[in-house]
Amino acid sequence: MMLARVADSLYWMGRYIERAEHVSRLSDVMLTASLDATGDAPRAARTALGAPEDIDEGKTAVDVALGLILDREDPGSVIVSVARARENARQVRDQITSETWERLNLLFLRITSPDAKRQFDQRAVTFLHEVISDLHLFKGAVDSTMSHGEGWRFLMLGIYLERAQLIARLLDASFGEAAQGSPLSDHLSQMGLLRMACALEPYLRVYTADIQPRLIQEFLLFNEDFPRSIRFSTARIEEHLRALAGHGNVQASGVPERLAGRLSSRLRFADLEETATSGAGGLLATVSQDCGRIHEAIYGAFVAYPLEQHLPT
Amino acid sequence: MNDRDPLDRPLSAAYRPGVAYDEMYDKEAGVRSHYAALQSRISTLGAGELADRQRTLEQSFLLQGITFTVYGAETSTEQIIPTDLFPRIIPAAEWAKIEAGLAQRLQALNLFLADIYGDQIILKDGVVPRDLVLGAPAYRREMQGLYVPHKAYANVCGSDLIRNEAGEFVVLEDNLRVPSGVSYMLANRDAAKRTFPGTYRTSGVRSIERYPDMLLATLKTLAAEWRPNPQVVVLTPGVYNSAYYEHAYLARLMGAPLVEGRDLVVHDNLVYMRTTVGLKRVDVIYRRVDDDYIDHLTFRRDSALGAAGLFNAYRAGNVVIANAPGAGVADDKAVYAYVPEIIRYYLDQEPILSNVETYLCREPKQLGYVLDNLDKLVVKAVGASGGYGMLVGPHASAQERSDFAQQLKADPSNYIAQPTIQLSTAPCLVDGAIEPRHVDLRPFILCGDKIVVTPGALTRVALKRGSLVVNSSQGGGSKDTWVLTGENETTAAGDLPA
Repeated sequence: MMLARVADSLYWMGRYIERAEHVSRLSDVMLTASLDATGDAPRAARTALGAPEDIDEGKTAVDVALGLILDREDPGSVIVSVARARENARQVRDQITSETWERLNLLFLRITSPDAKRQFDQRAVTFLHEVISDLHLFKGAVDSTMSHGEGWRFLMLGIYLERAQLIARLLDASFGEAAQGSPLSDHLSQMGLLRMACALEPYLRVYTADIQPRLIQEFLLFNEDFPRSIRFSTARIEEHLRALAGHGNVQASGVPERLAGRLSSRLRFADLEETATSGAGGLLATVSQDCGRIHEAIYGAFVAYPLEQHLPT
Repeated sequence: MNDRDPLDRPLSAAYRPGVAYDEMYDKEAGVRSHYAALQSRISTLGAGELADRQRTLEQSFLLQGITFTVYGAETSTEQIIPTDLFPRIIPAAEWAKIEAGLAQRLQALNLFLADIYGDQIILKDGVVPRDLVLGAPAYRREMQGLYVPHKAYANVCGSDLIRNEAGEFVVLEDNLRVPSGVSYMLANRDAAKRTFPGTYRTSGVRSIERYPDMLLATLKTLAAEWRPNPQVVVLTPGVYNSAYYEHAYLARLMGAPLVEGRDLVVHDNLVYMRTTVGLKRVDVIYRRVDDDYIDHLTFRRDSALGAAGLFNAYRAGNVVIANAPGAGVADDKAVYAYVPEIIRYYLDQEPILSNVETYLCREPKQLGYVLDNLDKLVVKAVGASGGYGMLVGPHASAQERSDFAQQLKADPSNYIAQPTIQLSTAPCLVDGAIEPRHVDLRPFILCGDKIVVTPGALTRVALKRGSLVVNSSQGGGSKDTWVLTGENETTAAGDLPA
């Protein structure tokens, strides 16, 4: 049992943290990849981030990355995500441990410091690595100091829902409709894509250095053990929702669990051959839509439910 | 290092207390015995090392989020509440008197509140003027005749004490509404233990760490007996309130939910909070929202910080609001002048702690005196707090004084005046040097079924040289306060001596 508003804040804190990490990593890979003249990875990254038009404006990769990290006007930038995660953390300061709070606050102070831009200008990649490792430390503090109860589950729900949607969008930008008929084809870009999903080394363990679009999609969609695959994420979403449904009003809280179960099963039993006929694009669209529905169902069940259902009669 | 730092010299050489009582040095510039351990520790540390410790302290406040936000043109930055690394030390015997005096005072004030909101015998007896009480801005007619558990109207009290030139502690103000600062008291203690661990250990400092659980226990004694496991919540105006850090801190350390008005629902005179599993009944609300804002159906209509219908639920006895609405009438600045009489009236005892001499401008004779002596007095508006609406006569210009005199004549009953008191000074680290700064003392007293005085306090510091205004809204800072178990003793710290 916890305040509905608190559950909401923890959930959004998770979403913003995941978004910040994803955008940091994409920027990092984009910067590195742009050192090589060839390759489509920078384009895919920009597409995945919803900013393909920047290329036409003649901005350099560094300009784009600077905007993605430190632009307070851009609602998708890392600085905005971190600030919002912290604002949510402040709302629920009594619910998270001091260790967790201090990790996030440290990152916030680092990225909002007046010195941040100079640091980025001087050594952008190092700066990004520090941001990413701060985010990992935050998640570590969450895992090792917070009770793995209701509040923690809402936080994890936010992380995994955001992750499933972000990876789906990244795959779509690389191979799906958003790639606009020019899927990532060269080896360098495909390695870049795996790096953007933090998946290069785990992928190599499974498939060796044989890098192919089909295998990349299989790995990021269906791998059971890799924490950034969509299957892994949806399985966690289902797991957390099942645990949360046990807490309260079964009738209402069963809805998100059912939706999540359906999506998770679909990923568990599908394979690329099956999706080959319609293309992975269809499945990616389903993932995106279903995540949206689960998000709404979570609101209806736990946060913004009608009071009449619960008033004593 | 060959070039000796100025601070390596004995501290007394550089430190020049003024006419005020100094906490560390006596008139002959000798170190007071209860400060000896700290003073000798400080004298072994150079300027660089002290600055390091101050920086570490500030860094830890920043990290914990004990900050307020300063909005600039392009960026907003977080600033910590200024804090000083040297603890202020109070010997056991002095504390014993403060403790007894505060308990006596709160007991009398709660009896006074029960009387005012009951039969008003004290008014009938003419001890306190009727119009002064019933006309006070904080008086709440809605509270008349309501049941209040243990007749404890003020459950959390943060009195402001000052030490005058003679070295005597006197009460400057009683805060019975939503006093804040207790989280800084606790955060300062945390920091002091890290800054001067050895001195802390050997000095025998009384522990204050139990404040949150004492507060929770106090709040639980207010719940109805038939509610075996009462749900206590902390009500905050929200994240943008300047004391939000404290609200979250207390909620976290009590294990109580931190709620906002929008989390509460009142139905059939019962109060609920909206949780992930539906509505959950609330029994005790430790509110950090002013009376005016707790229920817009009863009090201010333009408020969205409370919950509609909350006061009716309170009236029906289904929820407890702490502190009780209307408790502020007893800390009204004009009622303050009568507190010694109030103590004698209800308890038949002499006040242990004195008041500061106070002139009520509503009395024509006293107004005349105030107008003639504006350059020596501090004049305060009765309804204001936080250092607003006041004139510090000796520090004001002739123009400011004559402007203020006009306001005074226009509405004399809105003002009181007090002599300007040189608050005592304590050593503070200011720009790398150790200098005396004026301080006050805010201890915290709890009252449920019994009165508990926390053996510690927030010492507020006027950071500007010579300034007598310690309020944080006026650029004040704070420091830790050590209450010793015994004079000069170097035993292990005992917790709560009998």
